[in-house]
Amino acid sequence: MPDSTRREAEDRSEEGSVSLPDLGDSIDAVTFEQILEMDDDEDDREFSRSIVFGFFEQAEQTFKKMDDALKAGDLAELSSLGHFLKGSSATLGLTKVKDSCEKIQHYGQKKDEAGTADEPDEKKCLERIEETLVAVKEEYAEVEKVLKKFYGS
Amino acid sequence: MDKGGDMGGSAANNSSDFVRKLYKMLEDPSYESIVRWGEGGESFVVLENEKFTKSILPKHFKHSNFASFVRQLNKYDFHKVRQNNEDNTPSPYGPNAWEFKHPEFKANNKDSLDNIRRKAPAPRKPAQSMDDPYPAQQMDLVNSQLMATQQQLQHLSERYQDLAQGHVVLLQQVVQLQKFVKNHDGAMHRVMGFLHSIDAQRRNSRIGGPFGGAGMGNGDPMSNDGLIDDHPASPLQQASELLDEFSAENLPNKELEQMTHEYHLRNDFSTPPNDQGGSSMAPHSDNSSTHIGYPVGNDLDNMVYPVGHTNGIDPINSEHIHNIPYALPTNGMLAGDSMTEMLPEGGLASSRKKSTVESVWGMTKPRILLVEDDKVCARIGSKFLQAFECGVETARDGLEAVNKINNGANQFDLVFMDIIMPHLDGVSATVCIRDIRPTIPIIAMTSNIRADDIDMYFRYGMNDVLPKPFTKEGMLRALEKHLPQFKKNAQFPPSSMPHAGGFVTPGPAHPPLGLNVGQLSAAQSLKEEASPGKSPATATSWQSPNQLQGTSPIGAPSNYMQQQMGDNRPYTMTPTHPHPQSSFPASQTQGSMGNPRTAPHRRVMSDMTGGAPEDHTEKRQRMYPPPQGAFPQ
Repeated sequence: MPDSTRREAEDRSEEGSVSLPDLGDSIDAVTFEQILEMDDDEDDREFSRSIVFGFFEQAEQTFKKMDDALKAGDLAELSSLGHFLKGSSATLGLTKVKDSCEKIQHYGQKKDEAGTADEPDEKKCLERIEETLVAVKEEYAEVEKVLKKFYGS
Repeated sequence: MDKGGDMGGSAANNSSDFVRKLYKMLEDPSYESIVRWGEGGESFVVLENEKFTKSILPKHFKHSNFASFVRQLNKYDFHKVRQNNEDNTPSPYGPNAWEFKHPEFKANNKDSLDNIRRKAPAPRKPAQSMDDPYPAQQMDLVNSQLMATQQQLQHLSERYQDLAQGHVVLLQQVVQLQKFVKNHDGAMHRVMGFLHSIDAQRRNSRIGGPFGGAGMGNGDPMSNDGLIDDHPASPLQQASELLDEFSAENLPNKELEQMTHEYHLRNDFSTPPNDQGGSSMAPHSDNSSTHIGYPVGNDLDNMVYPVGHTNGIDPINSEHIHNIPYALPTNGMLAGDSMTEMLPEGGLASSRKKSTVESVWGMTKPRILLVEDDKVCARIGSKFLQAFECGVETARDGLEAVNKINNGANQFDLVFMDIIMPHLDGVSATVCIRDIRPTIPIIAMTSNIRADDIDMYFRYGMNDVLPKPFTKEGMLRALEKHLPQFKKNAQFPPSSMPHAGGFVTPGPAHPPLGLNVGQLSAAQSLKEEASPGKSPATATSWQSPNQLQGTSPIGAPSNYMQQQMGDNRPYTMTPTHPHPQSSFPASQTQGSMGNPRTAPHRRVMSDMTGGAPEDHTEKRQRMYPPPQGAFPQ
């Protein structure tokens, strides 16, 4: 259940982390910290850096594909793209991006935001995806900025 | 008298021809002087035998044979009335008269003639008539009995075969356990030898002043080696030589493997026709072939990499992990230690703990297949898994996952499976994998964790759900939950696991197999690594403990075991016999020549623990990373 995971994520972020720089509220510290822990060298952070920048690449490609699918009115493709980006953003702890991707996934399935009620109106779904896509790009831009700053590039 | 009365005229037809003729004849008054009813009418009398035979018999009975007539009468149970000559009362009918009587043959009582029957048939007759019904019935009976017996026999032979197989498996386990004991013994001797040598060095330092005393002896064994020309092999070398011999005895493993495999096939346990057989058998045959050749060749280069074929090593295969000679824990310095490491007995758990303090797992680390289409997730996931010391392979979609399982059905111990993936989704992939690996834990890794989703995952054969975004802890919990057998305090060593899913009976047969391989690899590594390390210990006094203690425990028990095995399965142990005999003395000769071969290989003991794995990484392609961390990507 997305709600429960979100709650879980929030719970974890409340515990917080003192050792790491403030990454803002759009990144779940605990989740992201897990990845940072995997770095062998805390100075160059080779592993997490490659993951994060790999994600940037992936996210931008996905956004482009989403734009195209939106133009084509391909709800199924939008849903699948939303699901795809949801997975990686969630794994990195990018909660806001993840939530928006989930919404896109649900809208693409002709459902409401939470994916619980059906929304038969395709046009409405496409409109909602369009809105959400704008939002998720902004959210993404924010975390990208924070992360790029964190990695010093 | 009135007996025959009630039978009445109803039975007129029943009376015999002969009796009616007789009666009719007696009714004829013209025969009065020749044959007539006796007085009282209860018998008849033949008065004139000759006349009767000549004139009357032919008329009534179509023959003129008085004897036949009498026989006939006898058949109908007529009896000749005896004349009592003794008491001098003359017969009323004259001396030559024949009087016959039958209780039912009376004058004026024609009806009772019906009661006169021929006497009971001859005893032969009933037997013959009874014979007729027998053949059909009896044949059926016998046939069915035969069938039943045959079936029983078949059942029995089947059971016997099963039992025999189980017996052999058990026997081999026993033998392997015995080998364990022997190995242990050998290690003990080695330690003894080491102590002896230290002792001897102390003595040497007193005698051999020129070499600079005890410190010299310890620090530079080479000089000792060169000067003392008849000292025996270093205890370590002897010990590893000794342990090495057991590698030859590894042969039965192949048989055991084959046997269990056959058993596996016989039980028809959803074996994939091609892959399972190929993948599980090929590595084993690699194993055994190397073990056959290895002790014979006694080539040190081979020992560095005991499995002859590079491509035979699969990092994901526990057998190979066991086979890698350096996969010893950090404190596996002494053979005794490293061997106890392999022992499943709980009593030795303490030494095991020491070796892998930071690790959750025992000697064998689980191998995980991570199926995830998203690169970011896959990388993080495999990084986590590697941090848990798991072997990790990734598949980008369900199709690739199924292929990977297909190509090495036993390579993996657990699958983390994303659900929504291109080409083949995780649930469908699970269904496919279940055909090949019915029991491998498959854990759904997804953010779609609504109750009905989860229900579906379970329905299609998944074992658990790891909600996304997955956490390190969640992943580890899932691993620990589903791979308890790999945990270091697990009762059953994980080497049994690649097959354990497949069948029940042969399962227990595998731990000793894995153990044995592991133990042997330990022995091999020791031979190469440790014996030079121990070379400081070489000294003259080693000779006696080695020869006395080294040879005898090996020779006798192995012979004994071979006999035992030979009785049951001749092939199991036979190849081992030559090695203990041939290679052991060889090592002694080698030893007495001053260890020229081992000297270049000498390495300090600490090398074995940390240094060794790095030294040989180039030789172990795709090898499972050493437990110390440092996971090469």
